[in-house]
This record gives sequence, structure tokens and C-alpha cells, in this order.
Amino acid sequence: MGKLQYKKMKGSSNLRQRLVLATLSSTPLLIEDIRAEHTLPGLHPHEISFLRLLEKLCDDCSLIINETGTKLKYQPGTIMGGTHDLVHDCALTRSISYYLEPLLVLALFSKKPLTITLRGITNDSKDPSVDTFRSTTLQLLKRFGVPSEGLDLRIVSRGSAPLGGGEVILSIPIVHCLNAVNLTDVGMVKRIRGVAYSTRVSFQFDNSMIHSARGIFNRFIPDVYIFSDHKKGPAAGNSPGYGISLVAETNEGCYISADTAISYGRTEETGEIEEEKKELMPPEEVGEQIASVLLGEIEQGGVVDSTHQGLLFILCALCPQDVSKVRVGKLSPYGIETLRHIRDFLGVKFVIKPDPSTETVILKCVGCGMKNLSRKAS
Amino acid sequence: MERTVSRQNTNLMQLVYGKSTSASTTAMDEAQDSSGDEESDGDEFFKPKGEGKKNLREGFDDGNVNSEDCSKFINYETLKNWKDEELIQSIRDRFVTGDWEK
Repeated sequence: MGKLQYKKMKGSSNLRQRLVLATLSSTPLLIEDIRAEHTLPGLHPHEISFLRLLEKLCDDCSLIINETGTKLKYQPGTIMGGTHDLVHDCALTRSISYYLEPLLVLALFSKKPLTITLRGITNDSKDPSVDTFRSTTLQLLKRFGVPSEGLDLRIVSRGSAPLGGGEVILSIPIVHCLNAVNLTDVGMVKRIRGVAYSTRVSFQFDNSMIHSARGIFNRFIPDVYIFSDHKKGPAAGNSPGYGISLVAETNEGCYISADTAISYGRTEETGEIEEEKKELMPPEEVGEQIASVLLGEIEQGGVVDSTHQGLLFILCALCPQDVSKVRVGKLSPYGIETLRHIRDFLGVKFVIKPDPSTETVILKCVGCGMKNLSRKAS
Repeated sequence: MERTVSRQNTNLMQLVYGKSTSASTTAMDEAQDSSGDEESDGDEFFKPKGEGKKNLREGFDDGNVNSEDCSKFINYETLKNWKDEELIQSIRDRFVTGDWEK
């Protein structure tokens, strides 16, 4: 057997994307210098946890990590998917959405449709919340021709940082190939929906967040409904917390989201729970702030919010050899990184043109022609 | 007018894909090559910490190869006060309830 040609990369940034794209393009990957000079060197618990999840879902893949965790060798296998009692306990250093984002793309091209239970933190401030994932991320997939049957995320229980205790069930159907899209018209916002949740705190927190968010939107549009999801007992997980996820739907079927979560965090580096509890942002401010963030995203005029740019680009690049055209607001740093990785792994380069009249950016690309051979074209 | 548009266009492409868009070696490959040379001379073990970091940064626009893997992007600093009447008017037409008579 010939020696494998590993693609060499450095550092821990965009680890998930690199692994996803390496898997889809069957590129062996070697990552070095992962936090080599940090006080806590090597891979962090959530990254290891994601690697284990990847192993669980793929047959015949090989993952080698060196002793300090600063070096990772990955040889992709076949993505199996399946529904057979798949459960994954996510590391509590990041929320469940950290795992959902890459899973989503992988599962579309697996052998069998995927259903998996994930346990951990459902809402935190670093990642998009599971509510946003339901309301916005899954909707974006439909634009690319992913069938809505079997596409679901069920929130069984919620868990706030730092102790988690939430549980979600994700189902993703498989596709033969995606459809190229032409998403250049964002349309007008026709309604705003959202979910305010609270775990292990008074339900008044929900009401305050909803009230203050509504207060901002009332000047714009009357069709605003924000659900209240107050959890108690076992469904509320192990830690107190609250947060809100908002989504604006346009008449062209675009979804623009914004969310956050407030809870007692852990200290950045060590992952230990903070000793003295800091002041949390009051719910009124949270509602107002996220409503303002959402309006800021609407102002940008893209067909997705800045958080979803990366996913949008990846899906475009995975389309058949056909032109996709999308409009986004300002390119986010993560979006730019994604574009670079797409070029490195899939060889797809976008044509990026600013549209000065609306201060948006138009991106065009020809997909790499990704096909899932385990599903026949119907 | 057309010229400025085309220049902006290349700038954005450059921002994302690096300066030499035609050459196959990209900013990232170059960074790897240069640091690969350093590793071979064996002195790296005793290199001052700051210096090592500086080398890593070359070739990257965003600087840190170990930056956090996070798709969410909210810039709380540029958050505007959406109670301001002028601001409200500026995006009024992004809503179906906007004034479409003019």
C-alpha cells in the first residue's frame, strides 16, 4: 500500500470544519501545533468529545492523537449514520450546538439517515442555541432540497452551563445530492418568532425577556410572538440559566436569527466552575439586547445572519456542478475561514463581489458535485 | 465608476483567498513551509515563547491558528440603539409593514 498523503494544517482553529471537509472529500488530515504553547496544551475536552463522536459515526476511520494532544492524525472512513441507539454525552466545555453544526453536514451524506441523542448543555452564549438550530438552521437545509420528513430536532430537556443536563434528539435524512440555489433576494420581514427559556429560575425571567424584546419590535411589525419555555424538575437540567432566541422570517423564505443565553459560566481555561458568582445580566436587558442584535442582522440585508454564513457556503460548495448564488451582509470572520477551507479541501472557489448599492456581498460558486452514492436518485 | 467596482471586487477576493490569487500556493501553505524549515534546525525547543508565536502569525490575516472554533458572531460593541427614530426609519422598508406607497 502506498504512503498516504496527509494534508497538513496547524492549530486548533476551525477543527470541526476541517474534519467535516476532510471526511466528505476523503482527505487524510494531519493537524499539528494544537495549542502547543498554551498553559493547557493540546485538544480540549469538547474537541476530544467531537472526535469520539466522529469515530462513532464513521466506519473504518482512524484517529491518532499524540500524548499531549497537540498533534492529530485523521484518516477518514465511511460515514454510516443510522439510528441504532446512538447516544453521545457531549463534553460540558461547549454546548450541544457545537456538535450539531458539523453533524448536520456529515449526516446528509451518510449511508443511513441519522437519529442521535445528544446530552449536555443546550444553551450557552458561545454557540447558537438549540432553539435557533431548530428555527433557522434546519430551515436553511430545506432551501437546498433536503426533504423535511425526518428532519427534526427535539428538545427533551434543557441544560444550562456549567453543569448541563439537557438532552436533544436530532434526526437528519440523507440526500442523493443537494440542489444549487439562487438566494439573492432576502425579501421583507413578515413576522418575528422566538423562544425565551429559563431553567431553575422563576418563570418571570421569561416574561421579562419577552416583554422587553417586544418593546423594541413594536415599532416595526405587529406580528411578533415569542414562546415561553419554562422548564422545571428534571427537564430543567442541573444549572440555573435563561436566554432567548429570536428569528425573523421574510416573505422570500429567509430566516434571520439572533440568540443568547445567560448562566453562571466556568472559568475560561480550566473548565472549573467559578467560585464566586458574578452578577448576571438582568433579563430585561437580555431581551432588549438580542432584539437589537436581530435588527442589526436584518439591517445587513443578507439571506442568512452572520452566524449561518459558514454553513451556507459549505452547502453551496457541496452542490452539484451548477452555479449557486447567494447574498450575505458583511462577511463574518468565520465565514471567511470557511471559504478558505472550502477551497483547500473541495477545490471550490467563490467569486465574491460587493454590491455597493445595498452594502451586501454576492458570492457565486460552482459546486464540487458531491453525491451520496448510498441513496439512489429518485 | 466601473473601474472602482472591479477594484473593490478583487480586494474582497484578496481578503479571503490571499494576495496571489493566480498562484497555487496560498498564504496558508506559505506559512506552513516557512515554519517547517524552522522545525528542522532543532533549536525550537529553547525558543522564547513570544517569538514562536510571532512566527505562527505570519501569513494569517486573523493572526491566531488556535483561535476559537465558533460560528456565532455577535459584535456587541457595534450594537445600535434601535429606539432611535432615524434608525427605525432607515430599515423600515425591510419589513412588510414598511411604507410602500412612495
